[in-house]
Amino acid sequence: MKVARLYLAFVFFVLYMPIFYLIYYSFNSGGTMHHFESFTLDWYKDVFDDTRLLVIVLHTVIVALLSSSLATIIGVLGAIAIYYAKHRWKQTLLTLNNILIVSPDVIIGASFLILFTIAGIQLGFTSVLLSHIAFSIPIVVLMVLPKLQEMSPTLIDAARDLGANEWNVLTKVVLPYVTPGIFAGFFMALTYSLDDFAVTFFVTGNGFSTLSVEIYSRARQGISLSVNALSTLLFLFTLLLVVVYYIITQRTSAKGGQK
Amino acid sequence: MDDRVIIRFNHVTKQYDDDLPVLDDVSFDIERGKFYTLLGPSGCGKTTILRLIAGFIEPTKGDIYFHGQRINHVPSNKRRVNTVFQDYALFPHLNVFENVAFGLRIKKIPKADIERKVKEALRFVNLEGYEQRAIHEMSGGQRQRVAIARAIVNEPDVLLLDEPLSALDLKLRTEMQYELRELQRRLGITFIFVTHDQEEALAMSDEIFVLNKGKIEQRGTPKDIYDEPVNRFVADFIGESNIIVGTMIDDFVVEFANQQFTCVDYGFSKNEQVDIVIRPEDLELTTAELGKLRVRVDSVLFRGVHYELCCYDAYGNEWLVHSTKKAEIGEEIGLHFEPEAIHVMKRSGGE
Amino acid sequence: MRRYAYAVPYWLWIALFVIAPIILIVYYSFFDIEGRFSLVNYETFFTPVYLRMTVNSFWYAFLITACSLLIAYPTAYLLTKTKHKQLWLLLIILPTWVNLLLKAYAFLGLFGTYGAVNALLEAIGIGTKQLLFTDFSFVFVSVYIFIPFMILPIFNALEKLNHSLIDAARDLGASEWTTFRRVIFPLTLDGVKAGCQAVFIPSLSLFMLTRLIAGNRVITLGTAVEQHFLVTQNWGMGATIAVFLMIAMAGIMAITGNKKWGVRQ
Repeated sequence: MKVARLYLAFVFFVLYMPIFYLIYYSFNSGGTMHHFESFTLDWYKDVFDDTRLLVIVLHTVIVALLSSSLATIIGVLGAIAIYYAKHRWKQTLLTLNNILIVSPDVIIGASFLILFTIAGIQLGFTSVLLSHIAFSIPIVVLMVLPKLQEMSPTLIDAARDLGANEWNVLTKVVLPYVTPGIFAGFFMALTYSLDDFAVTFFVTGNGFSTLSVEIYSRARQGISLSVNALSTLLFLFTLLLVVVYYIITQRTSAKGGQK
Repeated sequence: MDDRVIIRFNHVTKQYDDDLPVLDDVSFDIERGKFYTLLGPSGCGKTTILRLIAGFIEPTKGDIYFHGQRINHVPSNKRRVNTVFQDYALFPHLNVFENVAFGLRIKKIPKADIERKVKEALRFVNLEGYEQRAIHEMSGGQRQRVAIARAIVNEPDVLLLDEPLSALDLKLRTEMQYELRELQRRLGITFIFVTHDQEEALAMSDEIFVLNKGKIEQRGTPKDIYDEPVNRFVADFIGESNIIVGTMIDDFVVEFANQQFTCVDYGFSKNEQVDIVIRPEDLELTTAELGKLRVRVDSVLFRGVHYELCCYDAYGNEWLVHSTKKAEIGEEIGLHFEPEAIHVMKRSGGE
Repeated sequence: MRRYAYAVPYWLWIALFVIAPIILIVYYSFFDIEGRFSLVNYETFFTPVYLRMTVNSFWYAFLITACSLLIAYPTAYLLTKTKHKQLWLLLIILPTWVNLLLKAYAFLGLFGTYGAVNALLEAIGIGTKQLLFTDFSFVFVSVYIFIPFMILPIFNALEKLNHSLIDAARDLGASEWTTFRRVIFPLTLDGVKAGCQAVFIPSLSLFMLTRLIAGNRVITLGTAVEQHFLVTQNWGMGATIAVFLMIAMAGIMAITGNKKWGVRQ
């Protein structure tokens, strides 16, 4: 068992080393990622002084929140439509749904670029937002659909039996039942949006940028420790998100009554 | 129409796509205030009848009447019937109180009334004090009661129960059988109970419908059906039976196992081939000399209250005997039975 | 169909963002850089330059997938044996939530001439090596980025495995290795397939890594698409490569089977 532990320890070490390496050097006054001179918070100050960067962070967050909210609404409706679809349509719909999930990012990016150009949509905020909604929808569907499928169909019969009309069935039974799936879908969409680089890179114009695109262009110019500081902040933010997500799912599943 | 009749099926057929009909031209009346059981093997159409009454599906052919009104296309949420589902179908996101209150809330009944009615319904099923429990904190038997409370709180004219006891263990099941019967008497409404368990059906019902392959084979009181099964299927399904082929020699005389016996049946043609049923508990063990039938014991099983003996006569017929007496394997014994124990049935087609 | 009216936005999404883009890509692949209808892009694709690039892409994608699988399977297997396995799994997933570019950027530092890895190599007497801008670093960083996506489905498959099957195999006299080879591995093959899918397809189209880590030494089909769309503005050629990427993708989906799509989480 000792070998096993060592192996796992090694995997976790490699997995986290780069992240902590970045964090460690974000406090380096030396300005490089190999020689630690002395502790400093200058790079963090740089980040907070950089209005351009702060605006980009704001844009990224707005795009992420907007796109994942809209994608969640559309995706939930889509999942319900697939759930009710006749059997032979179900498979077709699922295949169409999953195309964007399995497609390489460059293809999504390139094809959306063509789409927006033809439709005459200015590259920038709108095109990025639309793209993010588009690639988040199938993720929401995939998170919600299994919850729908695991729901016993007699629950719907029972609700009808007790006098519920279609709307009651949806709002009083189906939606509450799949709430954990909706949350999971929303958070997944949020992280996909925050994380996306390739698609955004294709459909963003000159005036608009998200964090990923900005990091890419900065990283191409070489090492700058303010990027390290930024990644530390992002990592902490991610951790916070994970904790919040964890608490929410724990609470809803406790309420929802899964064993 | 007789005003005791609450539900009428008039030549109802239910068929999916081009498959064989799951329900094939069935007609019957259901009267108010009685406990009915639909009994049959899986796939016989019993649940289909229930779903047709509940309104989850519509008949392919024929008409369904409720209080004399045709209700073929009335959706389930507009019918005065409620269902207790096999898997209970309790809403996992709502607690006990809210589950029971679900139907009342949809009808927009005043809050105070809801409170009162839900409490009353829970008291009816002995679940006072469980209002705030989550469904997953309830045991199988308790969920069962919540499901019943949720249905009866809406004061339906008919309560439909779809194999509600099948998920419970034997002891609890027997307990619930008593409770359900008692509940039906207290409420005075019609219960339609679906099961594949013949003991359950016999124990609880005023009237049983035995179904097979989408048709009603026999309907009657439990005693009728047990004592006078109309054919081999019913006899076989309603309890372990010895069913053998015989010949009706004359009124009150039947021949099987190469012997003639006196019986109480009449009205068959002379020398008509018939099925003979003798219940295992109607066969008494005696010595080979005193018995009406002479058989050899093949196996003996101890069943708690009685022994179950499997015997063969000289012609290869198998005889199942339930007896409090024990016999040795290989022993030659005699079987005694009364003329009333012999049930003669018309041979069912194809068998 | 009136009942499906609520899903109109979803139908619109399928039409506009799933079907239309595919059609557009195929359509554009038939136009040359001047905007004239022609098959020149397809002719170009079948020249040695592009064919070699295709072979290269597949080779790298294969290498990345194989390495991920080799490391991920034992990891997933050992994870299922740990206490608090859900917590450990969460720790495996957590790095995927860190922006991919930041992770790539970290390796710029780690693999740099004076970076931590070279310092280590120096210390154990191997001496400083050129790490950045090599095939090795490209594969390593790719594996690093993709490995959680390989571990996750395998872990789930192992978790779903009925434990009494393993007991049964041992009971019937199978050694630990035979049990693994004849029972555990075949039963977790679906997870392996899902993992391979999740790694192979995106690694065909990595372009930011080739730029940042491999310093344009490695040119994959993905890099070429990006190049044609955003640098040389030859959309037709980019679309043609994209068409072949889509064909490859469909082929991989067919091979690895897509029965589990609806239930994958």
